[in-house]
Amino acid sequence: MALGVVLLLAVVAAGPWPAARAQMPQTFRTPLGGEAPTLDPYYAVDSASAPIVFLMYNTLVGLDAAGKLLPQAAASWDVSPNGLVYTFHLRDNMYFHSGRKATAADWKWSFERMGSPALKSPVGSVVVPGVQGYDAFQGGADGIAGITAVNPTTLRFVLNPARRGGFLNRLAYYAAVVLDKDVVGRGQGWYATQDAGTGPFILKEWAHNDHFTLAANPRYYAGAPKVATVSIPIVTEARTQLSEYLAGQLDFVPVPLGDYQRISADAKLKPELLVYPRAQILYLGLNPRVYAPFRDRRVRRAFAMAIDKARIARTVFFGFFQPANSFVPGGIPGAYKEYRGLPYDPAAARKLLDEAGVTGKLPPFRIAMNPFGPVAQMEAEPAAAMLKQNLGVDASLEKTEFSTFISNLNKRTVYQSFMTGWSADYLDYSDYLDILLYSTSPLNRLNYSNPEFDKLVDQANAAPNDAARIALYHQAEALMVEDGAVVPMLFSQFAYLKKPYVKGLRTSPAVNGWLPFDTVVIEK
Amino acid sequence: MARYVLYRLAMAVPLFLGAALLIFVAGHLAPGDPVQTLLGDRYTAATGAVLRHQLGLDRPLAAQFVDYLGQLATFRFGTSYVNPGLRVGDLLRTALPISLRLATLAVALAAIAGTVLGVTAATARGRPLDRLIQFGVVLGLSVPSFVTAAALVYLFALHLRLLPVAGWGHPADYVLPVTVLAVAPLAFITRIARSSVGQALLEDYVRTARSKGLRTPRVLFRHALRNAALPIVTTVGMAFGTAIVGAFVVEVVFNVPGIARVAVNAIFQRDYTVLQATVLVYTALFSFVNLAVDVSYAYLNPRVRY
Repeated sequence: MALGVVLLLAVVAAGPWPAARAQMPQTFRTPLGGEAPTLDPYYAVDSASAPIVFLMYNTLVGLDAAGKLLPQAAASWDVSPNGLVYTFHLRDNMYFHSGRKATAADWKWSFERMGSPALKSPVGSVVVPGVQGYDAFQGGADGIAGITAVNPTTLRFVLNPARRGGFLNRLAYYAAVVLDKDVVGRGQGWYATQDAGTGPFILKEWAHNDHFTLAANPRYYAGAPKVATVSIPIVTEARTQLSEYLAGQLDFVPVPLGDYQRISADAKLKPELLVYPRAQILYLGLNPRVYAPFRDRRVRRAFAMAIDKARIARTVFFGFFQPANSFVPGGIPGAYKEYRGLPYDPAAARKLLDEAGVTGKLPPFRIAMNPFGPVAQMEAEPAAAMLKQNLGVDASLEKTEFSTFISNLNKRTVYQSFMTGWSADYLDYSDYLDILLYSTSPLNRLNYSNPEFDKLVDQANAAPNDAARIALYHQAEALMVEDGAVVPMLFSQFAYLKKPYVKGLRTSPAVNGWLPFDTVVIEK
Repeated sequence: MARYVLYRLAMAVPLFLGAALLIFVAGHLAPGDPVQTLLGDRYTAATGAVLRHQLGLDRPLAAQFVDYLGQLATFRFGTSYVNPGLRVGDLLRTALPISLRLATLAVALAAIAGTVLGVTAATARGRPLDRLIQFGVVLGLSVPSFVTAAALVYLFALHLRLLPVAGWGHPADYVLPVTVLAVAPLAFITRIARSSVGQALLEDYVRTARSKGLRTPRVLFRHALRNAALPIVTTVGMAFGTAIVGAFVVEVVFNVPGIARVAVNAIFQRDYTVLQATVLVYTALFSFVNLAVDVSYAYLNPRVRY
């Protein structure tokens, strides 16, 4: 009888068997670690939406594998002698996936949506505030005066002199894309079944929590992609991704940190391993608002000098990550590679604590770890041990799940310090220093407020040329590190496994580590 | 009987209301919210405020709850907060049958194999076979599912290449997840069947049946098992409920797009609408299973009257 009930339920529950994911020829298979919450490029700030957007949309300028700027939607551009007027000559052969040709008017509309005060999208602070007329637009003006569609293939920007810095780098931001306003105009959730892009791949299928299927765009301006389909299954466990790769179900997967040594020692897998730098800084943020001793600069410097980052990189991360003395990673144009920062010097650190009069009197110190991935804990444990050993401070760790961590971080009054990281969304100094450390930046969670630092950043943004700008940023970076605002810990790397029959894949230090797959060829 | 069933169905209504209220309050009281989680590192108060307003999260809690109840009454589950293009109803429609299928197959396997093993153990009481089965039960109850999953994947998918590592679509994809999910219920059912049948075999009517000259299989299946069935059926019912909810590890490791994974992700992302809908679905499932088990008692044991 019981069996009967069970079998009845089985009949009821069984529906049509879902179609198997056929391994078609010319399909490139790579996984995503989670479901994308949105495919609206102007809200795609998480690590699942960003890569999909990257494949379906185009920016005015793009990046090559070395992180250098290249023309993309703009075939060429002129800059006025004073550096404030950029005139982009757009390609005449860029079509939206819906069939319509993309024109300068579409770009103007897109940038205005990006900076719209009604939407306040999280990507709106990157490109648009640098343009003349942005402030008026926020105040209710009709459009951004500084952006003009001179004719269908000419787009002109007039920059705000105070915020002109890094304009081209910002335009390469993967979210600074042109949208098809007919598609967006469909209303909420427009991106669920169709994309509004011009990029090399078109959204063919989005099975929620299961997979994405992208089809090659035959009318792509740079030539149709060589793979007909990109199949992106959503596989949340990194180990499962690796197992699927080993079983031949996937072509290109990231290597979990814990498996790296085993794989690089494996004679069969080593040739398939791709290792290259990532534009990511892992750092310990010090919050003087919550841990009172940090209000004294000497105490912050002492903490920074008591942590042996080189040793952590060597032993805990088996040399796979590099110790960071500066804050801005390589891969960012003009990164301060020669900067030595604060040395590891426990004796000097103890002396600083003496001078500050807090030796032996430091209250218990807690490090909150970002629960996303194993890295924060792997760094925080030795760091806490070193602080205990070198400074005699009672250092302990705390960890909560991600939502609570982010919520507490945003409050700015909860954590004494936090071990986290920051990856480049666009390759520019401002994505690091301005965003994280400028006193009034909404993303400054350190409560760091140094008028001299702010002044240097303001000057950098108004600098007349790149060389002057970078020089000023170097000064600001040095100031911030010497100030002990954060303890820079490590620069990370990407490690991927790629099947030998996959050719033409280009890598990048930004976003997920690869450039769009339009150059990928499967040679089976 | 019909009156009893109607009574149980009527009782389900306050049950659902209570569950809806509880999960609504618990979800909103937990620290963090879907907007902060969604925007992550790029969250600013200004961006967050606009998104919250769009999602209606800045209204007073009472107003949100009343709205929610109103939608429920018309079976509208709303859209996901984290993924505004996704209707919760669609999500349930795709994920729930998968979990149901997985759970049904696993529990069916566990029920059949468990009963057979339990009966075998009961008849071989005290002998080596019984000891072996009991050892197996202890293993099944104590080894965590992710260990079993890892071991089976290593052996069958990577080493012998007989089965796929993960995924969902081919019939072959079902084998490993169903096996792993069936292990714990199998152990439970074996244990219960063994003790229940063992108990029944000591009864006088079994001695009578044997002395009548009936052969062992007939004694077992026509007499002893029918009397021993009640605890087994209860365990099977419970196992079904746990298999739906507890399939999380299996769904993550084998990448099955089922509802347990959806529910746990909704908790981590504070996706209130999805969370509330999945809790109500679970409440409905458990209520239904309990009712089915209770009703089956009347058929298994004629002395039970409702």
